[in-house]
Amino acid sequence: MTCDMNYNEDQRQILDAANALLNTSYPLSRLQEEKPDDLTALAEFGAFALALPEERGGTGFTIVEEALVHGLLGRHLISSRALANPIAARLAARLGRHEIAEQVAAGTLSVCAAVPADDSLLLIDGAKATLGVVFGGRQVILIALEELPREGVPGLGHSVVLSRVRGPLSMIGECTDSSLLDTSDLLVTAQLLGIAEASRDMAVSYAKVREQFGRSIGSFQAIKHHCANMSVDAEALSALLDMAAIAVRDERGDAAFQVAALRLLAPRVAFANVRTCIQIHGGIGFSAEADAHHYLKQVHVLRQLLSGNTMLDLPAPLAPYTSINERN
Amino acid sequence: MQLDFTQDDEAFRVSAREWLLANAPRKRGPLDGQSARAFAQAWLSQCHKDGWSGIGWPKEYGGRGLPTEKIILWYEEYVRARAPSVLDCTFVSLNHAGPTLIACGTDEQKAYHLRRILVGDSIWCQGFSEPGSGSDLASLTTTGLVDGDHLVVNGQKIWTSYADIADFQELLIRTEPGSKRHKGLSWVICDMKSEGITVRPIKNMAGATHFAQVFYDNVRIPLSNVVGMLHDGWRVAMTTLGFERKTAAMGLQLELSIKIEDLIALAECPPGSAIGKQLAELRAEAAALRAMTYRTLFKDPVTASDGSLMRLYFAELSQRIHRAAMDILGADALTDSTWTHDYLESYSETIAGGTAEIQRNIIAERILGLPREQPA
Repeated sequence: MTCDMNYNEDQRQILDAANALLNTSYPLSRLQEEKPDDLTALAEFGAFALALPEERGGTGFTIVEEALVHGLLGRHLISSRALANPIAARLAARLGRHEIAEQVAAGTLSVCAAVPADDSLLLIDGAKATLGVVFGGRQVILIALEELPREGVPGLGHSVVLSRVRGPLSMIGECTDSSLLDTSDLLVTAQLLGIAEASRDMAVSYAKVREQFGRSIGSFQAIKHHCANMSVDAEALSALLDMAAIAVRDERGDAAFQVAALRLLAPRVAFANVRTCIQIHGGIGFSAEADAHHYLKQVHVLRQLLSGNTMLDLPAPLAPYTSINERN
Repeated sequence: MQLDFTQDDEAFRVSAREWLLANAPRKRGPLDGQSARAFAQAWLSQCHKDGWSGIGWPKEYGGRGLPTEKIILWYEEYVRARAPSVLDCTFVSLNHAGPTLIACGTDEQKAYHLRRILVGDSIWCQGFSEPGSGSDLASLTTTGLVDGDHLVVNGQKIWTSYADIADFQELLIRTEPGSKRHKGLSWVICDMKSEGITVRPIKNMAGATHFAQVFYDNVRIPLSNVVGMLHDGWRVAMTTLGFERKTAAMGLQLELSIKIEDLIALAECPPGSAIGKQLAELRAEAAALRAMTYRTLFKDPVTASDGSLMRLYFAELSQRIHRAAMDILGADALTDSTWTHDYLESYSETIAGGTAEIQRNIIAERILGLPREQPA
């Protein structure tokens, strides 16, 4: 078959292996402890070196498998440091700083995501990070954080762990190349998809067991139609993500277009599904004792890591040969 | 996961493009009546003459037996060239009736009908819905009682597209007296010229008259026109609906990608404007719909329930795109044009072929495993 949208044997294996690791080492219940994720187990698994060639210590997979794994990282609400890491490794390699790239990929240098906020920089879960990747707009910047004093900042809903740095930054280098931005956005949107699917699954599971009026609330159309909507949107996003990942891997002409579409759609779908998930849970959904709120807050974090919107600047892969006026 | 079209596929794409650009009518066909029939027949006949009719049908039945890769390339080129809408009066014959006969018909039925369908000689309509059986199709009550070697049909069907201009109808009726629900139904070929048939055309909200109510008063249909087994019509009907959800809708889904490009050209708006933001989102959604189309074609297994996901996404996206067109048109939204006509027609998308609400029930119950609603 020349076209095949099924996962192949290698892809299924890496997904199964990553899932097993995440279920064991990073269950959602860990979030109750309010401790930063220790990413050592993921680094040892090779999660940050998936797409690196084997001679550079990678596992020789492609961006397609890496995106699949990031879908699972999203599902498990792994710290955004797991996103900053592979982007830092790629950025360092592009800058010719291979010693940094290799240490980052191996997980021996800790990297966090950072976003500009007025005249300062907000580090996300970066209290101990030695490097930062500044996301936002049409560039990514690699900075050294070691020397910079950090000021703790209360994070969104007392859940997002933030610190602020000011003053002249120690910049290692930057990149405005669309291909790196597309790769970065592909991984971020894969995580958003993971959250969109996980929040659907959480809502559906709850709707099956929660009973009111003598029956499970999932039997009521008011609830089941919410769940169906979550599924439709997640399915559309998932299909688009596969299409985009293939296009980026194969360097197809429509890669930038597909990623631009993802960039718009992914946060919208993730937000909608997480909102519905909270709503279907009712009172417990509003509490910090259920996990639904963690999904919401992570979507707010991930949205900040996406690059700028280019959707109307790119040619469409399926465009008409003649303008509309010629028909009417 | 791969999307690799071979050199042979690419050569096919080019030949399809060249043929379509040279031959496809440049204007939209008439919407209803005999002129719509004549236009659709002429176009299908032209396609057939050059080997472009029934490209996915098996060779033994007059098709080209092309693989899915080439079929989607054909439809992509088809919509890019602005060839006539695939949802014309040949849609049911090419995408429902023909494939059902191929799957379940007798040799005689195949021999008589399939070629006529492919060349455009016979137009078919679908007789499933009834005034009392819309979403609850299995409650249908139009009866066909066995009388010798015939069925005698009494009752009525409704929302039958092109009933006024069709030669044949795929008719779902209750043939086992006293049977309930899905049991005891039969799928029969009804000659629309039979004595006792009355067609009452119904004008739709867009001003076109392409559907109708059909009354049956002691209509005699030979038992040899039953497709599949007598009383086994539900299974046969589900075969038909399966076709619609997999490949038949491909052309319609891909056409939305063209419509959003047209809309962007029409709006001439700066990207930062409110309408620019809206168009960017619609363009992204059309890209997602195309990706879903590819996934449906190239991922196993695809079930009818999976089809509901795409069907619902398509229907609601189509409506959003047409609503955006009305916003962009301003005062011109009050005049009759292709855009305003299609806008009004798009209201049918979430009703025809299973309402959006029924699709949501299917998704929730069959894919997500949520419990059925308790019967009243």
